Amino acid sequence: MTVLRIKQGQEPLADLSITYDAVVVGSGAAGGMAAHVLTAKGMKVLLLEAGKKIDINAELRSMEWPYDHPRRGDAPPGYHAINFNEYTVRTPPYGKGSAFKHVFSYVGGWGGSDYVKNILVDEKDNPYTGTHYAWVRARLLGGKTNIWGRLALRLSDYDFKGKSHDGYGEDWPISYADIQPYYDKVDRYLGISGHPENLPHLPDSIFQRPNKLTAAEARFRQSLKGMNRTLTPYRAGVTTDGVQNKYRSKCFGRGACSRRPGGCDIHAAFDSPTGLIYPAMDTGNLTLRTNATAHEVLVDPNTGKARGVSFVDSQTHKTYEAKAKVVILAASTLESARLLLLSQSRQYPNGIGNSSGHVGHNFCEHVMGPGATGLVKELVGRETTLDDGKPGNFYIPRFRNLEDKQPGFIRGYGFEGGSGFGIFPDGTWDTPGFGGAFKKSVRDHAGAFIGMGGFGEVLARYENYVDLDPAVKDRWGIPALRFHYNFADNEKKMCEDMATTAREMFEAANIEVIGVDKTILTEGWSIHELGTARMGNDPKTSVLNQFQQSHDVKNLFVVDGSSHVSASCQNPTWTIMALCWRSCDHLADEFGKGNL
Amino acid sequence: MTISRRDMLKTAAAAAAASALPVKLPSQQYAPKFFTASEYALVDEMSDMIIPTDEQSGGARAAGVAAFIDARLAESFEKEPPQRWRAGIKAIEALSQQTNGKTFMASTPEQRLALLTKIAAAEKDPKTDAEKFFREIKGMTIRGYYTSKIGIHDDQKYKGNVYQTGDYAGYDAT
Repeated sequence: MTVLRIKQGQEPLADLSITYDAVVVGSGAAGGMAAHVLTAKGMKVLLLEAGKKIDINAELRSMEWPYDHPRRGDAPPGYHAINFNEYTVRTPPYGKGSAFKHVFSYVGGWGGSDYVKNILVDEKDNPYTGTHYAWVRARLLGGKTNIWGRLALRLSDYDFKGKSHDGYGEDWPISYADIQPYYDKVDRYLGISGHPENLPHLPDSIFQRPNKLTAAEARFRQSLKGMNRTLTPYRAGVTTDGVQNKYRSKCFGRGACSRRPGGCDIHAAFDSPTGLIYPAMDTGNLTLRTNATAHEVLVDPNTGKARGVSFVDSQTHKTYEAKAKVVILAASTLESARLLLLSQSRQYPNGIGNSSGHVGHNFCEHVMGPGATGLVKELVGRETTLDDGKPGNFYIPRFRNLEDKQPGFIRGYGFEGGSGFGIFPDGTWDTPGFGGAFKKSVRDHAGAFIGMGGFGEVLARYENYVDLDPAVKDRWGIPALRFHYNFADNEKKMCEDMATTAREMFEAANIEVIGVDKTILTEGWSIHELGTARMGNDPKTSVLNQFQQSHDVKNLFVVDGSSHVSASCQNPTWTIMALCWRSCDHLADEFGKGNL
Repeated sequence: MTISRRDMLKTAAAAAAASALPVKLPSQQYAPKFFTASEYALVDEMSDMIIPTDEQSGGARAAGVAAFIDARLAESFEKEPPQRWRAGIKAIEALSQQTNGKTFMASTPEQRLALLTKIAAAEKDPKTDAEKFFREIKGMTIRGYYTSKIGIHDDQKYKGNVYQTGDYAGYDAT
């Protein structure tokens, strides 16, 4: 493995002799937010992260040219990323028996895999079993926020009150009015760029200046207006005008974050360490312990309350206990569910907080794959323009099952797309032949393509769930997660519709359709897993209340995506942070009153 | 953008990794680590036929594509890609002998072009080893060329990867 340089000196190991006000497990969007809110309110917080604290800028090297990298951005020999075929044909654990030295999820197969080889987990160390699933994990300070896709969207009452709208599933125990002030807080504290559209199903944020569109996108936007559909500049969790935070720069439109698997070495794109954790450490109230893989929430047998967390040092394999008055899980939707299920005791034989039997269930996410590629004929042969200096290109919000009622499926999907000149010419692989004509054709067409792919809501279903594998354990001896999860008819019908509408929208804009993709990517591909410890008002059918507080154990909170009641089709990160902020406000109040 | 593109990038890259690429050296001075001298000459020539120099920019030879391919094969973790390349070159030479009675490099430029045209015709559904080799070398030529200085700057005239200190380039959403 690469020797990792620690930028600001090794953190002193956390003092584990004291009892903290709160221990937070996980340092991604949710854990970082919990640390920010609680330390700002004066609580003494211990933050546990399973991965390392690494010199992230040395990993990302955002502006490095391909030709200045010895392998043009590829990882060294012996590193392998699982591809779609492997996910489809093989059965997890995908790393098992591999001859490769290191095996990564599919994200490690994108151009620039060398830049994420120390960010993604090695599948060989972190097995899981069961049904096909592309589980993308990052273990390091900040988790997946170091390389996230940055699309930052709000949910609306079409999502929070989905059951009231179409009768399916459960409503959330909150409405948009409850979370709206917290979306505002997240927008102001972290910065978000976008263009207001005044859509009831995709509420506007408090936007900083938006990304611009390409010539093709500006035209496509006009055409879609005629269909009562909206193309809006990518709403990015990126500060384009700057925020008051000495660890972050504003965005200079370098575009590195969209050319690579992700990441921003000037931290204009939100990441949890610079956006939330470093400022929280500056309060003096936050203690950080990295290389700390939590494997059990500890219970006080007298009170039934949580008393702390047991963790194993991921390097020394020694086990420690962290004591705290409040335990907050933010380890990610699947890891938090795993941790709840692992925490079995006399009081909680099925895992802590699981009297409902719903932990691990109602697992949902976004389905993706179908989409279309088009050619804007008028743009063929034109001079190169700067089109990829941005965190993302465009988003087409949901338009299905709002006022209309589709015959084949409920809920909706949005499209993410892009167009224009990139660092690697689009269409090259599909250009036939060779020689001067080939070369000229690649050059002439490079900036004329436009493409988009759908992200659809996967319905939350009790029968889609994870549990603990009875036999397989990870490198640290912790039982692995086992998947029982499949897309069903609603997702398949929705995906057929995605391919149809993608084509229809291009055709209406007089864009030549050169490819329609109908393939549904492996479960997990969207990296938007949600729902495994859902909120609700009824303790019999939900795990958490509206403040992400365990119905069973009042000083236990689960503040990540596992609390979401339904997936919506909008990307979850901004909602995860707004919900977490709201819950932690409540938590701090209750803590101050001695109610926890 | 689309996953098929990602997969193709991956396929092209699957011939695996390379040590430091001396792309700054003219390819003639490069001492191949995997290819024999005659194999290297064939790869260098064929890559330059796939992406030749034209009025806009230098071709694959000027961009050091053969050296890029050689370096990656020399440190390949998987055994199969180097074997596949060696077998592919053999198939090209066999086809050249059969068609022209000469090695590929000893053939005339017209004969080389005819051979390449023949194997490229089956690009969509290659059957013979020589036809499969065309896909292989084309893929790696694309990958090596369009990630090179010449490919990015001279040919594509790529404008990005810069600090935009004022307005962002592009069109407003109106």
